[in-house]
Amino acid sequence: MQKRLIAIALVLPALIMIVLFFIVPLFASVVGAFDVGGVLGLGNFTKSFELYSGDMIFTVVIVTVSTALIGLLSIAIGGYLTLGENPRAVAILRWLYRWPMFIPFIVVGQVMRTFLAKNGLMNNILVSLGLLTPLQTIGFLDWRGIVIAFVWKQTPFVTLLVAGAMASLDRSTIEAARNLGASRLRILIEIVLPQIATTLMVGLILSFVTMMSVLSVPLMINAQSPTMLTADIAFRINAHGDYGVANALGLISLILTAGAALIYLRHSVKERS
Amino acid sequence: MTIQAFLKVEKMSVGYGATTVLDDLDLGIGKGEFVALLGSSGCGKTTLLRTIAGFAKPNAGSIRVAGRDVTHMAPDKRGMALVFQSYALWPHMTVAQNIGYGLKLQKRSREEIDARIKEMQDLLGLSGLGSRKPGQLSGGQRQRVALGRALAIDPEILLLDEPLSNLDARIRLTVRHEIRSLQKRLGITAIHVTHDREEAMVMADRIVIMNAGRIEQQGSPEAVYNMPASPFVAAFMGAENILSMQARVSGEQIELHEGAFNASTVTARNGRDLRSGPVELRFRAEAARLTSNSATAAVEPGALELRGQVTSVSYPGGHWRHAVRLGVDEILVDSDNPFGQGEIVKISVPATALFIFNASSEGTAH
Repeated sequence: MQKRLIAIALVLPALIMIVLFFIVPLFASVVGAFDVGGVLGLGNFTKSFELYSGDMIFTVVIVTVSTALIGLLSIAIGGYLTLGENPRAVAILRWLYRWPMFIPFIVVGQVMRTFLAKNGLMNNILVSLGLLTPLQTIGFLDWRGIVIAFVWKQTPFVTLLVAGAMASLDRSTIEAARNLGASRLRILIEIVLPQIATTLMVGLILSFVTMMSVLSVPLMINAQSPTMLTADIAFRINAHGDYGVANALGLISLILTAGAALIYLRHSVKERS
Repeated sequence: MTIQAFLKVEKMSVGYGATTVLDDLDLGIGKGEFVALLGSSGCGKTTLLRTIAGFAKPNAGSIRVAGRDVTHMAPDKRGMALVFQSYALWPHMTVAQNIGYGLKLQKRSREEIDARIKEMQDLLGLSGLGSRKPGQLSGGQRQRVALGRALAIDPEILLLDEPLSNLDARIRLTVRHEIRSLQKRLGITAIHVTHDREEAMVMADRIVIMNAGRIEQQGSPEAVYNMPASPFVAAFMGAENILSMQARVSGEQIELHEGAFNASTVTARNGRDLRSGPVELRFRAEAARLTSNSATAAVEPGALELRGQVTSVSYPGGHWRHAVRLGVDEILVDSDNPFGQGEIVKISVPATALFIFNASSEGTAH
């Protein structure tokens, strides 16, 4: 009996932290989403869909496109790190690819803003190289800018997971394929990728969730309409003090994220059976 | 070698960075021959196999198959297939997909691939397992799938990198014979890397014993077993008992001088390359005969007779094993009957079982 009390006492601080700082606020937001002027109802949701259904699609498309590009790039980089035959190129790439991981989203947004704008660094370089005239330049500070910023920032993280999984593969499974005449691209797609698919999937889901919750990048790069749901939530609260719609939008993005998590769970259950 | 070698390795040196693993190595292997590369870990046998397969680049030397220089060819262009120690089966593919992958890469037709997969499954006793994943197979079955995958592309040379070391001891014994009879049936040339002496003896036509990146000796199993060319080979082939003596070589005879535990003995030189001076004697525990000190049977000609004291007796199965002390040396001798601890015994080692080498310090002085 005393043992049990001690056990409970040991768990209690952690439990209080979770309840106080995680469960209670989450519950409050969920309830707040259905709270329309003191009465429970779906008003916040109707308003959300009326005002922001375009932004919802915009958010899902941007995050999905970014996730797909991150997947492709991380497979390419991880694949080269694993199968590359030029030791110097492999070493340089291994040293280089991680850097963006250590740069905060807000800085990424700022860097991309100065780089991608109509008279930003990229266009200035292209113009000074004579590849473009000042009149031909276009800015990338719209959905493309957000995608570029997300991919630039998140690819190293997924690559880190993917390259680690590839490095810990039984090397002889790669050599066995080489022995039978498989090209490096075929080895990557048919031998390496299926064996690390679960890790790739975990990395992409985590990236998806992270990108869904980033506010600074859409604010810095693309503050006009359509924009991402995070910017809308901030706008509802800061400009209107409208916590109801903000909570409803939060719940909607939670459901979108849960959708991605569900796909992952389905897949991993199928894999195991 | 009088036969024209089918696979020929000439003056090959291989190293990683500053370390040299193989140095100026020559090896010829006949068509249809089963050769075992035998040596302890780190002797370079796996490096030799991987270089032949094309996974390690030699710094110097050449590899030829049927007169064709393959030294710088990609692994798949050499007509060789490698069976890996870990089997290296692809866990996400079924047994049939594993076996058929090489043929798929060769862009064979679907029917042809299916027929070949079936043929391999029948050959290796894997029928009915085609749709299983490697994770659902036993160790022995995985080993056979790895063999099937290698054989499916019909290679001229089969390379085996310790393929039995991950199997249970009991299964290993049967798989040895399976691989050997399969190799004979298909008439395929095979190179088998192993550190297990008995495995090499049972499976191979020829044993190549390697030590520190060089070939110490090569020959038929009975030749390397009965006529080891160096102390290393003698020890590796189980002659662990070691004694130091003085010898005088005159013509076709070797005289071992009288010592504290033995009378002077004269034995035939038997073509040994030996000089007068300190020598190292080696023999196997099972080759020596143990008799009681009072036994009066005449010593057979050429045999070495020793006298010692039994310090311990054990029964490893089939015979009794005695540790016998000769001054500071201790030797192991087997006998059908046990002798008591502390008993003084006579040990006689027949001439054919006695391996005599110049002591290594003497060898370097010249």
